[in-house]
Amino acid sequence: MNTIALTFRLLWLVLDNTFRNPLRTILTALGTVALVLVVTLVYTVLNNLDRITQEKSSNLKLIATEKWQIPSQMPYRYVAGLSQGAAREPGDVKPEDYMSWGFFAGSTDSDASSRDFNSFLFAFVMEPEKILTMMDELDELSPTSQEYKELKAAVDRLQDNKRGIIVGLERLAKLNRKVGDRITLYSRNYKDINLELEIVGTFPAGRYDGSTVFRRDYLNAALDQYKQEKGTSHPLADKSLNLMWLRVPTREAFNQVATQITNSPEFSSPAVKVETASSGIGSFLDGYRDLLWGAKWLLAPACMATLALVISNSISISVRERQTEFAVMKVLGFQPFQILLLVIGEALLIGLTSGFFSATATYLVINEGMGGLPFKIGFLPTFDVPASAIFWGTVMGGGTALLGSILPAWSARTVKVSEVFSRVA
Amino acid sequence: MLMGQLLAISIDNWAIPAWLAFTAWGMGSLLVLLLVVNRVPVMYNILNMVVRWRNTLLSALAFTMVIGLLTVMQSFVNGMYKLTESSGQPGNLMILAEGAVDEAFSSLAMADSSDIANQPGILRVGKTPLVSRETYLLAAQSVPKADGTTKRRFLQLRGLTDPELAGTVHGMKLAAGEWFTEAGIRPDPDNPDAAPLIEIVLGAGIAGEMGRDRAQSGGESQAGFAVGDRFELNDRVWYVTGILERTGSAFDSEIWGKQSIIGPMFGKTSYTTLVAKTADEKTALRLKEFFNKDYGKAQLSAEIESEYYKKLSQTNEQFLVAIIVVACIMAVGGSFGVMNTMYAAVSQRIKDIGVLQLMGFKRRHILVSFVLESLLLAIFGGLLGCAIGLFADGWTANSVVSSGQGGGKSVVLELSVTGATLLSGLMLAMVMGLIGGFLPSISALRLRALEALR
Repeated sequence: MNTIALTFRLLWLVLDNTFRNPLRTILTALGTVALVLVVTLVYTVLNNLDRITQEKSSNLKLIATEKWQIPSQMPYRYVAGLSQGAAREPGDVKPEDYMSWGFFAGSTDSDASSRDFNSFLFAFVMEPEKILTMMDELDELSPTSQEYKELKAAVDRLQDNKRGIIVGLERLAKLNRKVGDRITLYSRNYKDINLELEIVGTFPAGRYDGSTVFRRDYLNAALDQYKQEKGTSHPLADKSLNLMWLRVPTREAFNQVATQITNSPEFSSPAVKVETASSGIGSFLDGYRDLLWGAKWLLAPACMATLALVISNSISISVRERQTEFAVMKVLGFQPFQILLLVIGEALLIGLTSGFFSATATYLVINEGMGGLPFKIGFLPTFDVPASAIFWGTVMGGGTALLGSILPAWSARTVKVSEVFSRVA
Repeated sequence: MLMGQLLAISIDNWAIPAWLAFTAWGMGSLLVLLLVVNRVPVMYNILNMVVRWRNTLLSALAFTMVIGLLTVMQSFVNGMYKLTESSGQPGNLMILAEGAVDEAFSSLAMADSSDIANQPGILRVGKTPLVSRETYLLAAQSVPKADGTTKRRFLQLRGLTDPELAGTVHGMKLAAGEWFTEAGIRPDPDNPDAAPLIEIVLGAGIAGEMGRDRAQSGGESQAGFAVGDRFELNDRVWYVTGILERTGSAFDSEIWGKQSIIGPMFGKTSYTTLVAKTADEKTALRLKEFFNKDYGKAQLSAEIESEYYKKLSQTNEQFLVAIIVVACIMAVGGSFGVMNTMYAAVSQRIKDIGVLQLMGFKRRHILVSFVLESLLLAIFGGLLGCAIGLFADGWTANSVVSSGQGGGKSVVLELSVTGATLLSGLMLAMVMGLIGGFLPSISALRLRALEALR
């Protein structure tokens, strides 16, 4: 009973002491909030990169690209065989779904000298129906959701209109256009191919804000027309397939399809390689290896060390000011370890509370207010702050508080009653 | 050693941007003004800092951490800027196919190259125009890892018709070995029946990267690739005949080989780039206008080489913005720590403040004294942070530079701590010190002598 009472007494003292000097508590808490914010942002980026480079075991997307060269440029005729996973023999595995990717960069400005980023447009060229079944995140929209219904309507319009184009909200704003407008797209990579397009819809807000999609058969028709007019094929006519995505149900099916494609003589010139989406992203991120290493092993630890110093400083000031109080507590019967716990408890209360507050506020502001953390590297999407960041932010605040308070707490524990009272006297 | 590091920073790197010079001037003036106005001996503050050495040290270390980290981060961005700014040679004109925003997407008809090269204004050596005909491409290499799996590495290959001429045009020299031969291949002495070895010259940066990967995959050597080393790519064995001198440019990350071998091997039968050397920027500009507007035999997109590489700095700007955001948040966090220290300093010296007032020091003198103390603390911690960050100078790191409109280059860059980096770190420390010290100093100002002594 005594122990429980003493524990409650200590907890009360921790709470009471924390608010004894509200200014110091607030300053320490604000310092913690700021530094936990940085660590939470670093954690968000690293956690999301880990997630997207993590190999899945089911519902895998297989990426087929040109084996040796970047950017991958394959002949469009590869689609027929790749969409079947190069299955030729009985027992060969076929993919559940597929999507072909072409990339078309252009500008709505006819004058090459005045083109700027606002008139720039980078379009995915693909089969319209695949937008709903194969594109990341869009293939996970609930058919009952408003976002899905609006997108489905846009896709239907794209299927009805060969010259249709779906434009992301941000890109639409940059182009200063609206749904229903017609644009002429002057190509940058497909020389002398200019396309007349009609904006038929937009993507749901978020990942595809800057993206656009138009129909593959429209590009194919434009390339055919080029040949009729110029008497020769367009230089990219046989290089218009940039990527191929295949959906396979399991890891085994992935391995089987990969083997079928790799061994198929149909895909030898140029040779094709297959990999999972996560593996492809992993290779892409290798270019940023040192930067990510720095974020993980320099930035985050430095923030935590700074935080520990800020808390340690605050607690040590507090301990020095309260030497007499600790001496009195000892006289009243408090054990040295209880005094140690008291000081650590005060630090932990500040660290845990402000760590939790900082991480939760970051979670809410970024996920709900900003629609994700924009990580503008390559094609990577915006990153949501994971719910686990709230836990780790709290732990981070508490952990650094513990680390920073150990020495001051030890010094409080070892206060000598006789010395303190002789000084007072 | 530290002095050596400092002296190693060349004079060029002490160039200070106007905004920083203005900030430094402002902070310096403020410091001088405070010292002039100050009547309380500075030794009083220093002794107090020594007496409270634990708090002084903890606060200073917080500055050190923040400034040290920012110095390292900024040196990374400096390295990227240095790379994009030093890759173009003065007077060089880069000619791509019309519409191509990146070398990788360009395709120039080989038949046009002679006419382009013979345009007036392009420098010559004897009768040969100084025009490097090049095919630039990115290749994916499968690299074995220690755990038995493989990873993909993107290699930047530049096929050249004449390596020595390309070296002259790009200002690149061999550090070791020799240029690849006219044939671009050589028989494999260990296996005469095998396909010939493809001769290449490696940039210093990529040679180091490949050596690092070789060591990680269980190879015996930790050092970078050297003359005579081999690697596999596209089912062929590639042989290193030379290593280029490190220049801090994008070419440090490239592999140079014979265009007629490398181009067709990766399905590129045309040139992607022609780089022409002219006498000066003015001539290059005139030629640029000519090729873009008046040249009728082919549709071209000409650009001053240094401008082309400067456009690849969009990634640098993104990183810089990220660093500024992180710096601001960390500075705010650090400032709260300093505020704590200074509030404690004030509360512990209430009696001192009373005595100072009785001795005739005005309130403003006490305010100045405390602000000065905070600034001294910040300068001490900031200088220590700068000194630690200085060690990052010369480290190498990989990254990607891009214009943000497709394309981009994987590069190995050298971190660069410049005078501006150190000065901006110190300025940030002083701003943190000023913010952190000002409010507590105001609280000291409000104390009345008799109350303080009670």
